[in-house]
Formats: sequence, C-alpha cells, structure tokens
Amino acid sequence: MSVFSDIFFGGLFQGSLYAMMAVGLALVWTTIGVFNFSHGVFMMLGAYFAWQLVAFGLPVVIAFPLAVIVMAGAGWILQASVVRPLIGRPNIVLVVVITTLAAGSLIENGALTVWGPRSKQLPSLIEGNTTIAGVGVSLHQIAIIVITPLVLAALWSFLNRTRLGLALRAVAQNEDASQLVGLNVTALYGLAFAIAASLAGLAGIFMGGYRFMNPSMGADPLLKALIVVVFGGISSISGPIFAAYLIGFFEAASNYYFGLYWTPALLFLVLIATLMVRPEGIFASRSRGLA
Amino acid sequence: MSESPILSVEAVTAGYGRVTVLHDITLEAGRFGNVGLFGPNGHGKTTLLRTISGLVAPKSGHVVFDGKDITGLSARAIVATGLIHVPQGNKLFPDLTIGDCMALGAYSPRARPHESENREKVVKLFPKLAERWRQRVRTLSGGERQMVSIGTALMSHPRLLILDEPTLGLAPKIKDELCAAVMDISRGGVPLVVVEQDIEFLLELSRQLFLVDHGVVKTEIRPGESIEHSEIMAMYFGH
Ligand SMILES: Nc1ncnc2c1ncn2[C@@H]1O[C@H](COP(=O)(O)OP(=O)(O)O)[C@@H](O)[C@H]1O
Ligand SMILES: [Mg+2]
Repeated sequence: MSVFSDIFFGGLFQGSLYAMMAVGLALVWTTIGVFNFSHGVFMMLGAYFAWQLVAFGLPVVIAFPLAVIVMAGAGWILQASVVRPLIGRPNIVLVVVITTLAAGSLIENGALTVWGPRSKQLPSLIEGNTTIAGVGVSLHQIAIIVITPLVLAALWSFLNRTRLGLALRAVAQNEDASQLVGLNVTALYGLAFAIAASLAGLAGIFMGGYRFMNPSMGADPLLKALIVVVFGGISSISGPIFAAYLIGFFEAASNYYFGLYWTPALLFLVLIATLMVRPEGIFASRSRGLA
Repeated sequence: MSESPILSVEAVTAGYGRVTVLHDITLEAGRFGNVGLFGPNGHGKTTLLRTISGLVAPKSGHVVFDGKDITGLSARAIVATGLIHVPQGNKLFPDLTIGDCMALGAYSPRARPHESENREKVVKLFPKLAERWRQRVRTLSGGERQMVSIGTALMSHPRLLILDEPTLGLAPKIKDELCAAVMDISRGGVPLVVVEQDIEFLLELSRQLFLVDHGVVKTEIRPGESIEHSEIMAMYFGH
C-alpha cells in the first residue's frame, strides 16, 4: 500500500510542478503562436525575486504574492522587447526561439551577477511534515498539490468565464477577426506573457522551497515543460495540464521500478512512441486555440 | 438625397510589402445610398476594404469616415468610430461558440451598452443562430458561418457596414436568405459598402456601383443611369 501512496504522492507533486510550468508555455503558444524559451528563466527569476523580498524582511505571505506580481511585469516587458517587434514576420517562430533564448541567457547571467553563484533556499510555504497513508510528506509538498489545481482552475475560469479571457481565446484563433471586433491585440499578447511569467514564477517559488536555487535552475523545468506541452498537444491548455500529471505519475512509477537513471530515457521512449501514433499530441484538438 | 459622403477614399495607394495593389484609388460612398464594388478576382477589392478598416496601412492617400480622417488609425480605433468590416471568407473563430462571437462583437465600449438590443436584432434576422447558440463555429455550414460573421458585425453597433463577398461560395437557397438579410440590414438604416460577384444582387441593393480593376476605379455607375446587366458584364470581362 505504501508503494502505491509513494507513487501517488510523488506523481501528484511532480505533476503539479510540471503543470504550473507547462500551462504558461501553452498559453503563450496558443495566443501568440511562439515558443518562449525564456520560460525557465522566468521560473528562476520568480524564485530569486521572492528570495530577495524575504531577505528584505517581508513576511512570506506578502513576499511570495508580490514576487508573482512582479513577474507579471517582467513577462510583459520581455514580450514588448523581444517578441512584439517581430510580430507579423513569416519566420516568427524561429526568430522568437532565438530572441527569447538570448534574453533568457542575458537574464540568467544578470541573476548570477546580482545574486552570485551560491545556492539559496526559500522558506517553505508551510513548515513541517506529516504522514499520509503511510508516506512521509512535507506540508510544503501538500500545499503545492493543493494550490496548483486551484490556480489552474482559476486560470480556466478566467479564460472561459470572463470577457477578457474570451478575448485572449479569440486572439489565439484569428488575429484579423480579433482586430475587426476591436480587440487590443498587442495588449492581449502582453497579458498572455504576463500570466505565463507569473505562473512560471510561482513554480519557481514552489521549487525554491524544497530544493536549492541557482541561476540555471530553470533549464531542466523548461525542458520538462516542453516535453509536457508536446506530449499533451499544444493546441489547448487543458491538454498540457493532463499531460503534466500523466508524466508526473509515469516518472514516479518509473523511478520506483526502474530507478532515477532510466526514467528520462523511458520518458523519451514513451514520448516518441506517442508522437508516432498521434503527432498532434495525445489530448490535442485540430487547431490552435485555448480551451 | 445627395448628402455628403459617409466614406471617402482619397488617392489611396496600398499593398503588401513591396507589392502595390491599390494605385491612387479614389471613391466616395454613401452620397446616394449603398455602394457596390465589383471586379475581377485579385484586383484589390479586399485590399481596399482592409485598408479602409485599418488592417492594411496605406502608403499614401487618405480615408475619411463621416468627416473624420481615419488614415493610419489602428483597426481597433476604427471599430470605435462605428465603421465595421465583415471580412471575406468567414474564417471567424473556429473554436468559439456563436454566443462567444456575439459577445466579442459587443466588445468595444461603443457597442457594449447596446448589446442586448443588438442581440435581439441578430436573432430576429437569423433565427437559425439562436437554435445553435452554444455550438462551435467550426461545426457550422458555410452559410451559417457567414450569418455569424454578419451577426458579429451587427453586435458592434455599426454606423457603416462594409461586407466582403458575403455570398461567396454559398448554395443558391442559403444565398437568397443572406441577400434578403443584407437588404433587411440596409432597410434598418445601416449604410452599406458591399463587394460582390453577384451583379444582380448588387444592382438591387445599391444606388452606386464601382468597377475595381487593377487597383483603380475603372468605371462608376451613378444612380439614375439606366444600365443593362449585359453592359456591366461587358465592362467586367471586356478589357
Ligand atoms: N496578405 C497578402 N500578402 C501579399 N499579397 C496579397 C495578400 N493578400 C492579397 N494579396 C495580393 O493582392 C492582390 C489583390 O488581392 P485582393 O485584394 O484580395 O483582390 P480581390 O479581393 O479583388 O480578389 C492579389 O494579387 C493578391 O495576390
Ligand atoms: Mg477579395
């Protein structure tokens, strides 16, 4: 029984982190049609901003939300500087890969200069440990497992229940038609980036609370988020969310039965097999669009 | 009847990148009622409408709507003046429902206060849409999508409606339905500028026709001039 709960909690926890990262990547892809390769750096930046605010003496309940808000601004600025000027170019997908990679590397080195190479750690969301169903888990992990679905549900209702969310979904589907109903396409692009950066920042805060932080801590989660998004199908945000949890459970099970060493290889094997059968991803629909 | 024009296009040159499609085109609309535009494919009718609605920035010239120079304004700013464009090809928002599209139509602050009144108008004009309010656009037929396109534009509370080939590629029965709806909109007091291949429909609808050819107005047909269908067909093909 404890094996099952081990895998269950491990999967939920990893899945939550992956979902938090992947959903922002998917949001930017569906609205703007570009891949943001500085998404991992956003995650790092969120963790460091939070660390800095805590170091200034702010309590966690203020420092963490503030860091998430600051990240929204950072996302907006990045969009305005390295994405917006390129919109309308035929080769935008590739060019933005390069500009966001470049910006990401610049920010990463900036973080290294400002905060130094020494590892840091954030306070946990909740201190302490507990035992559930025979497994010892930290309250920090429980908090992540609970907060993530709430945040994703809030995002889902924003996209599906508000007029602004409707506008974001519309811009994802037809830019010309969006302009012809009077939507501010540039502002909506900025908003998509702002939301994505906030979510990545929150993922960074989650991660900084149980692992040491360093300026390149976002690289691996970015790769994972890309896998999740490709696996889940890039045409929606619900696809990557399901895929994130699926991969989380897969990794937890594989770690248990085959060990940490084999898990990445097995994951890629499953990914390749899946894409051979369903090139558009397992949960994908036919078109680009938020749902 | 001869009022000042609601829309004038003054010596507009426009195109895509280095390609110029419209060459110094000039026309006035609305002085005598609805305006019809026709001409061979690929000669710049769609580009003209896109330039008027701000999707394409003109290289030179002016577009004046109701006395206001709207040249170079963003499409959003032009929507805010009440000049509403129904684009060609009813591509729309494939994964949104009809209801979503209508809500988007009423997005601009100018249209928002009239949302429920306009929704009633749309439902009265196209009862079919009401039955399918929660259905996604991608699952609709071409004719139904065109209805959604026009409905969305009506939700924007137009002061001038420009329609790009509203009956393109539709079966005769649904085409008649749409033509009747467009006539209804016109009778409801919204002036129209319509691009159409169906000359008979244009003659019925408009008091003034322009033949657009190679990016310029080649011929203008004024009201009162009796004009035979065959003469228009000759203009159309005889060059
Ligand atoms: N997005 C575009 N980019 C480049 N050229 C275009 C674009 N859209 C249309 N064109 C060109 O502009 C010309 C006029 O097209 P269009 O305005 O669509 O004509 P019409 O509506 O009269 O059929 C055509 O030669 C067409 O190939
Ligand atoms: Mg056309």
